[in-house]
Amino acid sequence: MSTGHAITGAAVANCLGADNRTAFDAAFTGLEAFSPAAAFFDFPFPTVLGVLPAYATTHDDRLDCAITRLATVALASVRQIRPQVSAAVQRWGAPRVAYVFASSTGGLEETERSVAPSPRMPVPAAGYRYRNHGIDATSPAIMKHLGIAGVQLAISTACSSSFKGLASAMRLIDQDLADAVVVGSADSLCRTTVFGFHSLGLTAPTATQPFSRDRAGISLGEGSAYILIERGGELTAPHALAYVAGVGAASDAFHHTSPHPEGLGGQLCMRQAIDRAGVGPNDIDFVSAHGTGTKLNDAAEAVAVNRVFERRIPLTATKSLTGHTLGSAGLTSLVLALESLRRQAIPATLRASAPDEALDVALVTQVMHAKIRHAIVNAFGFGGSNASVVVRAA
Amino acid sequence: MTAFRIAATSFFSTNHETPADMLANRERQLIPPAFKLLVGRARRFTSLVTQMHVEVLGALPIDPATHPVCVFATVHGEIQTADQMIADFRDNSIVSSARFALSVHNSPSGVYSVATANTAPTTTLTGDNALAGGWLEAALTVAEVGKPVLLSIADEPVPEVFHGPGETVGFAAGFLLAPASSMVGRAAELVIAPGESDVDPRHVLATLTDPGRAATMLVLGRIGPGSVLQLRLSP
Repeated sequence: MSTGHAITGAAVANCLGADNRTAFDAAFTGLEAFSPAAAFFDFPFPTVLGVLPAYATTHDDRLDCAITRLATVALASVRQIRPQVSAAVQRWGAPRVAYVFASSTGGLEETERSVAPSPRMPVPAAGYRYRNHGIDATSPAIMKHLGIAGVQLAISTACSSSFKGLASAMRLIDQDLADAVVVGSADSLCRTTVFGFHSLGLTAPTATQPFSRDRAGISLGEGSAYILIERGGELTAPHALAYVAGVGAASDAFHHTSPHPEGLGGQLCMRQAIDRAGVGPNDIDFVSAHGTGTKLNDAAEAVAVNRVFERRIPLTATKSLTGHTLGSAGLTSLVLALESLRRQAIPATLRASAPDEALDVALVTQVMHAKIRHAIVNAFGFGGSNASVVVRAA
Repeated sequence: MTAFRIAATSFFSTNHETPADMLANRERQLIPPAFKLLVGRARRFTSLVTQMHVEVLGALPIDPATHPVCVFATVHGEIQTADQMIADFRDNSIVSSARFALSVHNSPSGVYSVATANTAPTTTLTGDNALAGGWLEAALTVAEVGKPVLLSIADEPVPEVFHGPGETVGFAAGFLLAPASSMVGRAAELVIAPGESDVDPRHVLATLTDPGRAATMLVLGRIGPGSVLQLRLSP
C-alpha cells in the first residue's frame, strides 16, 4: 500500500456543529454539546446524545433521493467538500473519481419509523421504501450531486467502517482504478443502537468520560465525515491538507463485542499503520484514541497504546466532544486530527478531571499546543474489527 | 485489468443441494448449515446469514492458521436480526443484548475470526452492488498482500415486513482467491466495462460454483454510474 496519498478536502458535521468552522472551534474550546436523550426520543432510561444541529437544505444542495435522517446527516459534510471534489474532477475527470461510503446503521432509522412508528417517529410522509434502508441508500444521489462517476463501494464494519473504507480507497488508487476517491461516512441516531448499547450495559447515564476513573460508558452521537484523497504528486501537492501516511487493520479474534484484554488487534493495526507510514513509534506526536468511555474498551486501548509506544504519548479522546458516531467515528476523529495538524494543537478530552491512573496514559485534559508532524487515529469495532491511520502534515 | 486465480469454491443454499439444482430451480425442503466451525453459544445465537458465511468459508481448503485476509459481501446484512430488534423495542421497550451483539454487518467476520483465531484484517462490502464490490475488493487485496484471500458472499431472505425483494432462499458462496502468479485453479480477471446491467447474485454464484459449468465471462453487476464489473475466466 502506498504511503503518501494527499488529503485535499475534509469535512465534518456532528453535535459540535453542522460545518467545519463551527465544529472545529467548538472542539478546540471544549464546548459541551450533548443533549438530553429526549431531544431525540423518550427512552426509559437516562442517557445523553450528540444530536446534529438542524440546518436547512437549500434547493441547490438537495439530493436526488429520499431525504432521510441519514441523508441529512451525510449532506451536511457533502455540501462542504463539494468545491474540492469539483477541482479533483477537473484534474482527473469524473470517471477517475471514486466514491466509498461507510456506515454502521445506514438507513435503519427510516425502517424503524415504518416498522415501529410512534408519535415522535411517524412513518415517513413519502411512504417507506426498502431501498432507503441500505448502507448505500444515498450513494448514487451523492455521486450525482458531486459530479463523479468512478467506482462506487459501500463498507459496513461497525465502528471501524470509515477506516476500512479508507483502506479500500487507498487500494483503488494504488492499483490504478482511481486517481481520487471521496471517502465518506455517516451514521444517524436511531432507536436500535441506543436500546442496543443500553442492553449491553454500555451507555453512560451522563456525558461520557473516556479514560476517567469514573467512566460509565458511551454517549452515542450522530454525524458525518468526508475526506477527499488524491494520488500524491506534483499535481496535488499544492492542494494537500495532509497525507494519509499509513493504514493498518487487524482482528482481535477474541469476542464479538468485548475487546481483547491486551488490545491485541489494536496493537497489530497501530504497528502496521506506523510501519506503512515509514516511521517509528517515536515519530508519532499524539494518539487520537477510539476512547469510547467504557471500562473495558478504554482499558484495552490503554494497554495497546502503552505496548506500542513504550512512552507516555499524549492521547486524546474526541468522543468526549462528538459522542460515538459509530461507523463515522474514525473519519470524524481523523478530520479533527487534520485540524490539530493545522493548529498545532491537540483538543482536550472533556470531563477528565479524574483520569484513571491505573491506565497510565498521558490524557490530554486541556488544549495542548505542540509541534505535531504525525498523528495516529484509532477506530475499533464490534466483531473485533480494528483499524488505525497515521496522518502526516503537508 | 485485475488478475488473480480462483483456487477453490464452495456453495450453500437453504433450498438447493447443489449449484446445478439452484440453476435448474430444483428446490428441496429447508437445509440448515452443518456448523462445522461453530460450537456452543455461537451455534445458538448466530443468524442464518452468519452461519452460511461460516459454512462456505469452512468448506474451503485453507488452513486458518495461515491467517488469510477475509472479504465478506452481503446486500442485506443481518436483516432478520434487525427485524427482531425493532420488534423488541416496539413491543417491550428493550432489545436483546445477544441479538444486538451480533447485529452488525460484520458479525460474520467477527464470528469467523474468533472461531478460527484469525487476526488478519477483514472487511464487509454491502449495498445493492455488494456482489461486484466484494469481488473487486477481494481481487485488489490479493494483489496487495500477494497471498491467498478468502471471499464469502451470502444473503438471507428479507423479512416481509420490510417489503423488500421477496426472496425466500438463503444462499452463500465461498471463494479462495490466489495471486495471478500462482499456478493453482483457474485464471481470472476483473474488468470494468460500460453498462447498466443488474444481475441476480444467486444465478451468478451458482454458475461460478457449479463444476459442470465453464462460463468464461460473467457480469457481476454495477460498479459505478454507467459501468459494470465483468469477471473473465480462462476456459
